[in-house]
Amino acid sequence: MNAVKVDKVAKTPQQGGLRQAMAWLHTWSGLWISWLLFAIFLTGTLAVFDEPITHWMTPEHALEEAAHANDPPLPKVTDRGHRLELALDFMTKEHPKADMWEIWPVQRPGHGLSAYWFQPAGGYGSADLDPLTGAVIEHAREATQRDTIGGHHFVDFHYELHAGRIGVWIVAITTMIMLVALVSGVITHKRIFKDFFTFRPAKGQRSWLDAHNAVAVLTLPFQFMIAYTGLAFFSDDYVPAPVAAQYGMDNAKKAFLADWNDVGKPVKTGQPLAIPALEPFALRAEQAIGQDIRAVVLDNPNDASMRVCMYGWNEETDTMERLSANTGRACYALATGEQVALRRPGESDTGGAGLTRAVMSNLHMAGFGGTPMRWLYFFCGLAGTAMMGTGAILFMVKRRQKSGGEFGAYTQRVYRIVACLNVAAIAGLSIACVGFLWANRLIPVGVEHRAGWELRAFFGVWFVMLAHACLRAEKRAWIEQLGLLAALCLLLPVLNVLSTGDNLAAQVARGDWESAGVELGGMAFGLLAAWGAWKVRQRKEKPVKKAAARESAAPTASLQINTEGQS
Amino acid sequence: MIPAILCALGLSYAGMASLCLAMDRHHGQVWGRDAAPNVRRALQLAGAVLLALAIWPCVAGWSATVGVVAWLGFLSAGALLVALLLPYAPRLLLCSSLLAAVAALAGLVTFMR
Repeated sequence: MNAVKVDKVAKTPQQGGLRQAMAWLHTWSGLWISWLLFAIFLTGTLAVFDEPITHWMTPEHALEEAAHANDPPLPKVTDRGHRLELALDFMTKEHPKADMWEIWPVQRPGHGLSAYWFQPAGGYGSADLDPLTGAVIEHAREATQRDTIGGHHFVDFHYELHAGRIGVWIVAITTMIMLVALVSGVITHKRIFKDFFTFRPAKGQRSWLDAHNAVAVLTLPFQFMIAYTGLAFFSDDYVPAPVAAQYGMDNAKKAFLADWNDVGKPVKTGQPLAIPALEPFALRAEQAIGQDIRAVVLDNPNDASMRVCMYGWNEETDTMERLSANTGRACYALATGEQVALRRPGESDTGGAGLTRAVMSNLHMAGFGGTPMRWLYFFCGLAGTAMMGTGAILFMVKRRQKSGGEFGAYTQRVYRIVACLNVAAIAGLSIACVGFLWANRLIPVGVEHRAGWELRAFFGVWFVMLAHACLRAEKRAWIEQLGLLAALCLLLPVLNVLSTGDNLAAQVARGDWESAGVELGGMAFGLLAAWGAWKVRQRKEKPVKKAAARESAAPTASLQINTEGQS
Repeated sequence: MIPAILCALGLSYAGMASLCLAMDRHHGQVWGRDAAPNVRRALQLAGAVLLALAIWPCVAGWSATVGVVAWLGFLSAGALLVALLLPYAPRLLLCSSLLAAVAALAGLVTFMR
């Protein structure tokens, strides 16, 4: 701090110039959102691997897959023309009034034939058809299949907290405050380049501050990107004014989405027109976009305005090389056979704005670059999670040494609440996450609404952990919860052996790295938690000094620590 | 893909280690004294060059767009590794970063062919 500013700093921290003001903002805005942000970040990080987690959580399916792993590969479907006919017959008979028919005559081995349509009451209808006969396949759930939402729980929770629109808004406001905390944190951290690589372990408060700074600063580009793209994802919800200005107040969102998703959708004329064979259009589209056809969408069937759009598959090379997840798309007016729209893979129908939006959401979802990118996201996400956790803990560590006296007579009570929330939000939520995996194995397979019970187990465990954290002394609560977390994580492979008979060695032997990854990852977290529990056990408690005593004894030194602690 | 990942990670790790050792505080952790000005300059230059080179395998392994995003990710990963290893095993940081630099640069040659 330079000489000119010295007299300003001598005032209270709130009045002491930009850096002190930002330190105050960072501490207090950061603290109140850190618990929720920790939850959003931890579940978001796990969401990176939602598919492997789902795979682990559907062991019957995984084992069946493994049993057929050595079968000769199925040939690619060649009777697409016939499949399209079957689906068109089905739609003509069952849903002639729907103004959109969507058919997946999938060319890939192991896939069947599916049809989708807009229900008159709103929403999507769907049916799976037998690709040889066109008969509807009824999906009665087999008794051995467990009903679960799998890893998608983490995806849903991290952006809507399983609370629908309200949850989306809560997450949005939290994310906004996170951006405030990031900017104020950067301004506060005056030695950002000097301390770039600094981490001093085993030095108490110093170490927590170093760790908080290091994980935040070293992964700063990621933290900004993930928060910003997360907000951009729902921009039409969060910033509705432009849409309202363009489309008016009534049903603006619907009209906007219709324009956005169905560029150039034709208007019905009322003149009848027979549906021609669609296979020739599929072949033309494959030529035009250079991708296999995944979905065939028919607008206004049997009307002269009829239009068919062919959508392609993203091959692995496409997602490796492109930030945009848009597939190719070619549309034809069936009255004339003319090509009316063409989107090459990776491009956008809605211009630069549409492409920006597609790239932003794909950046957030790590939908590019393949598995290596997912691991980079996973580790950067863990660093972000650690940033929230260390920040929340740092607040308490500092005040355990010296009370700040911020709430007058209530200070100790507020600190107690902060301490409880720290334990419940950090250790408690982690237990709830691994508890969700335990619930998947422990809840009987035949139970009604089983997926709902898994979710209830998640929230139930979390609530129990909150109650536990409030009832036990802080240090005991940390040790017990971290110990429980370690046990649940380390015993995950044992649970799997006892419940399904499948074990880690067998998973590795058959090359099922998705299942093995979940269990090995769980064990890694378990070791980390065990180490944490051991470290807390070793910590020596010092009695909290009262704020008043400190102020009279060493007023200047206290300010020194305050500013140093924030830097 | 794996060679590109290893090469990018090795270069970012070695580059970050080099930048780190150019700082007096961290130079002291390894050698017990401050860096001479010309040594510091050389380490800074080497670090910058290694980090810049790390973009090469990223672009070669993915593409110009995805590669840049991957590069930013590897920079963070390399820096995190350095910050975590330095206080516990400064000598190991020195040896491993030298090894990483040599191996990754050798790997880079194969990318250019």
